[in-house]
Amino acid sequence: MSNINRRNFLGAGLILGASTLIGKETPQKIITSTSDFTPPVIAFPEKKPLKVISDRPPLLESPRDIFTQAITPNDQFFVRWHMPDIPTYIDLNEFRLEVKGSVEKPLLLSIDDLKSKFEPVEITSVLQCGGNSRRYFAGTGPATHGVQWGHGAMGCAVWRGVRLKDILHMAGVKGSARWVGVNGLEKPAMEETPKFFREMEIDEALSGELMVAYAMNGEDLPYLNGFPLRLVIPGHFSDSWVKMLSEITVMDEYRKSFFMDVAYTVPDNDCECVVSGSDFEYKRKPIAVMKVKSVIGYPTPNTVIKKGSRVKVTGVAFDQGKGIKEVMISTDGGKSWSATELQKDYGKYAYRPWIYQWEPKVKGEYTIMVRAINRIGNIQPQVNEIGWNAGGYQYNAVDSVNVKIV
Amino acid sequence: MKKLFLITLILASSAFAQVAKPIEMPYVDYPMVKGDHDEIAQQYCLICHSWGYVLNQGKKSRPYWTGTVQKMVNEFKAPIAKEDQQTIINYLVKHYGYEVTSGH
Repeated sequence: MSNINRRNFLGAGLILGASTLIGKETPQKIITSTSDFTPPVIAFPEKKPLKVISDRPPLLESPRDIFTQAITPNDQFFVRWHMPDIPTYIDLNEFRLEVKGSVEKPLLLSIDDLKSKFEPVEITSVLQCGGNSRRYFAGTGPATHGVQWGHGAMGCAVWRGVRLKDILHMAGVKGSARWVGVNGLEKPAMEETPKFFREMEIDEALSGELMVAYAMNGEDLPYLNGFPLRLVIPGHFSDSWVKMLSEITVMDEYRKSFFMDVAYTVPDNDCECVVSGSDFEYKRKPIAVMKVKSVIGYPTPNTVIKKGSRVKVTGVAFDQGKGIKEVMISTDGGKSWSATELQKDYGKYAYRPWIYQWEPKVKGEYTIMVRAINRIGNIQPQVNEIGWNAGGYQYNAVDSVNVKIV
Repeated sequence: MKKLFLITLILASSAFAQVAKPIEMPYVDYPMVKGDHDEIAQQYCLICHSWGYVLNQGKKSRPYWTGTVQKMVNEFKAPIAKEDQQTIINYLVKHYGYEVTSGH
């Protein structure tokens, strides 16, 4: 992979910092508090303008009104990388996905190989960062560690690619294999920094639902969403949906690493929670399947609506793949609840859109809240019920939006 | 004629793939408070990540910023000398945090 033509993000940052460049944004005010920090909204390559929490590594958050759509457009899909050095050019003539380790026949697969030698499969699935909605933990107790995302670190797309199982079968997994490690082309700035390396048990890798995707919503993956390949793990948080996937390593032994043992972990107990404000001094386990969640796409916070208007309140709900049974809505801050109308079912791992027709007749401030329940009876906790964890992972409490009727 | 054909070929091939040339990443100059050795914070923190990572955290306690700087050194292997670690922590607490006697 060494002859991939790429520019080093670190180098680019240092050089371009002193120069003028299209897209350069200089917020004028010195900001010292997160309540004052409004990320600049800038268009990155192949993206519409999104909230830029960081440019390096790129952390781009989607706006809330994205949740009026069941399928998130590629150009508004959120972006989250871990390392500052990301290739900015990949030559598909050179690119190979390497399959190695405890296999009978190591493989070097081109994108053409993946498209021609395997059965193509397609799945519609939510992709959600484990830290999505993390900033709302601050409404339940102390703010947690980690990037303070709003709800916009998730999206739902139609993924197309090949089964990871089929790739592993072609390579021939040895009987001694217990783990599968995956990593992509992103690199840290320093050699000593732990690589973004993720591991899963061999049974999970062979389950048949995991996919090596080369297309997203009918197009090549956007560069910042992991071109040319990313792993898709339906129903699971995105920590192992490795972008620019370049290596699959079949292993007999688990390999200890920061990104498996420390990052993306929750307390290893039934509630996956600790007393608010605790530090990381607890036994941990990796986050895995997503929890039932619904969010409001419209109205957005502080929308002003004329009395008597017919408001189409819309949003999406999803869970780990059990399916959404019902989404309830309250327009009086949680005192009374009504059913929303569930819309088209795009599959068990997809967003389930919902609609509620609302005709506010009295002027004033309203708090709209939504709460989803899935087919196995898991219901979103109220804000004051959600379990707290120091990493701020898996936030799924009832969503609420304040609007004004005039 | 031959020349025209070549030009057509080049034009066609450049339009062929969406990744025919490197992407250009925008650079964001997140503002930092000046003084109290902001240059030390710049020198080390920005090796791996933008200042947006810090701004997004909001005001944090001394134990929080101490733990964060230690994480960068111990887990991510940031090559920051002991005295510079303390300078960075003091800078963060003064401008992006607050002092507490215990807890967070």
